[in-house]
Amino acid sequence: MRIARNIIILALTFAFVWPVAGQTIGDFKMDETELYAMTKQMGQFMRRFNYEEDQFGYKLNPKDPNYRSNEMRRKSLPILFDQEKYGTQTDLQRYFIEDVTKGDSTYMTFLGGRWYSEVSTTFKYKGKDVKVMLFLAVEKEGLGSKWVLTNVYFSEFNKLFPTGELAEKEKHFLHPMSHELDFMNIYKAFQDPEVIEYYASKDFTPDYLTLFFYEIKQGKLVFQHVDSVKFHVFQIKDWYFEVSWFNRSGLNSGWLMSNVIYMPEKEKTNLIKFYQP
Amino acid sequence: MKKIIATLVIALCVVGSAMAQDELSFERKQAIDSLALEKVRDLSKYVKIVGSKETSFSEANRVIDRAEELFMSDAEIGVSSLGSNQITYYRVRKYFEHLMRLNYDRVEIEWYNIEYVSDLQRQPDGTYVGVITIFQTFRGYDAEGNMVYKDMTKKDITVYVKRKDTQIGGRTIGFWDVLLGDMRVKETTNR
Repeated sequence: MRIARNIIILALTFAFVWPVAGQTIGDFKMDETELYAMTKQMGQFMRRFNYEEDQFGYKLNPKDPNYRSNEMRRKSLPILFDQEKYGTQTDLQRYFIEDVTKGDSTYMTFLGGRWYSEVSTTFKYKGKDVKVMLFLAVEKEGLGSKWVLTNVYFSEFNKLFPTGELAEKEKHFLHPMSHELDFMNIYKAFQDPEVIEYYASKDFTPDYLTLFFYEIKQGKLVFQHVDSVKFHVFQIKDWYFEVSWFNRSGLNSGWLMSNVIYMPEKEKTNLIKFYQP
Repeated sequence: MKKIIATLVIALCVVGSAMAQDELSFERKQAIDSLALEKVRDLSKYVKIVGSKETSFSEANRVIDRAEELFMSDAEIGVSSLGSNQITYYRVRKYFEHLMRLNYDRVEIEWYNIEYVSDLQRQPDGTYVGVITIFQTFRGYDAEGNMVYKDMTKKDITVYVKRKDTQIGGRTIGFWDVLLGDMRVKETTNR
């Protein structure tokens, strides 16, 4: 089964005509075919996605008839999927390619917004190594653009604001006439710090990025290193996908689509809030 | 010297008549890519010379000086291996000195004929930034000629491209100045 799949991947990949190239150094033959096939940068992922470069990696002139050609995209898009997960001929893959290469097809652009970088990092917190996920987006500024922090996920922060039971929440409030008593009852709000947020407006949502900055400024969270990077893309109409780095041999490596979900536009709004509240 | 003049000529040609273009044309981008690739090829050459056990100490130091000139003054080189996510950071000189001191009797450093150049993006101050990806194989041999270490690394090199002016014969001529920035060196699966 696996052999058959590999044959299909090979056939498919060579259908896109990777240059078979090699150089000989001393006793070693260096085969460059896999490196041509590898999607080496996220920017290359975008260019391949849009067919703005040919199979040799040369940038196409926007005047070139093949530039952003949907016919060429139909051939090149399969290699942007993680073939180990998606195989080569799944319905989802076929539907995705068919949809994004229609007449009103959508393309990925660097400054087009609605794509986020998820950077998994390690910090020191209270003397221990902890995992913190940082979310970043490209923001236009001045004459160009820059990556900015849009949100953070740190389990310790989430523990501070658990989703409480409704019945429990309903027990904690300041009655509507409290003002007439000079808020003498407000001490109750501070008696149990674990539920302090129940005394906030129903619109309250914790701002984790502010908490994160606070802990950094207090010297309690200290950056150690980046563990991995992936991207969440909402830019393509009615689709969401992740792009992850696959460091492996073969003709399907580098930045590839690792999670593809059909997602109508109206369903994206809430999910995007997780990356950029 | 000839090379410096040639590079300057190319740089000035790239400028052409359009002096202050915000959006670079496809042809201009291609010319800038060539300038950036030239710098990266110089870097590859310097890595090979400094890494070679046949290069004398004084020659290696001279080449390291040249290599430093390719980079922005605050550029760092971040190196990681397959077994660890930890990135070790080096300044350019330290990186080359580390390479010079590697404890092998003979080393082979080769570059694949693949250079991938990203699109140029502008940062807030207007400077263009790009990344060039190249691949290198490294093999270290002991005194008996046995290969005792081998790796393949992907090197992602930041390239900064900035418009500058120079005076030539009393005329102000604009040119594109290309400098290398941070370099990420990541070990890839052995192929």
